[in-house]
Amino acid sequence: MPLQTTLIIALVLFSIALIALLVVRPAITATHGGKVMAFLVLFLLPVLCATMGVSSELERSKTTKFCLSCHIMESYGQSLHVDDPSYLAAAHFQNHRVPADEACYTCHTNYAMFGSFKAKMGGLRHVYAYYLTKPPAPENIQLHEPFNNRECLHCHLGARSFEQGAVHNADPDLLPAVKANKVSCISSGCHEVVHRVGTLSKVKMWSGQP
Amino acid sequence: MNGATNHVERRLQLAGTLLILGLLTEAVCLLWARPLSFLTFISIGGAFLFLGVVVYLLSLLPSESRPETGAE
Repeated sequence: MPLQTTLIIALVLFSIALIALLVVRPAITATHGGKVMAFLVLFLLPVLCATMGVSSELERSKTTKFCLSCHIMESYGQSLHVDDPSYLAAAHFQNHRVPADEACYTCHTNYAMFGSFKAKMGGLRHVYAYYLTKPPAPENIQLHEPFNNRECLHCHLGARSFEQGAVHNADPDLLPAVKANKVSCISSGCHEVVHRVGTLSKVKMWSGQP
Repeated sequence: MNGATNHVERRLQLAGTLLILGLLTEAVCLLWARPLSFLTFISIGGAFLFLGVVVYLLSLLPSESRPETGAE
């Protein structure tokens, strides 16, 4: 368990012990010191615990392990280990173009204002679909909306390999169209192989760990 | 101990109980690292903590104008 989580749980248990004391002996709040203690124990500590807990949970929800903890996402996790550089997600994961422990979040978040919030709302939709509807087979899962080039350009914009790449510059209209999100980075003929989980059983897997 | 004190103490006990439930939910959710635990923490744990704090803050309001139980 991460140290941060351990510390929050310790604080939570400490708060519970103090609150229990007040519940059992409410008369101690009759004194001035008791009133101060009640304010600390019944207001400040719970608010602090809740804030730290929410922050910890939000950080944890960004981890690759968290995303892959749903059974339906297992094949997407496997696709990160495909031994083929044309698999976009695998190439990013294995070469640390994205942090390996936040691989899903790094590409699938929204790099606009309130993007993290929108990403969490998207995650809630996943939970709804997973638990309250009949989820599609992994290979049939679709994005809520077309992948926005903005998420790719967040890192690649200005990078030499992107700006001066031979294929990117073969057609002078391509780069402006990509930057304007008029031509998708993952459109057919470009970086179209992203996860392709339907054919994972037929491809070679990389056995290393990023 | 008068009725008003009893009333405040009962509210403090209720607030404390709600907060304990909320904090226990938080502790369990922090240990159980799954997407559903995140939702449980935000919805159930958050509701208990919010209610607990609200009940505590309400207990701070003066209650002299409140008729006491059995005073009639």
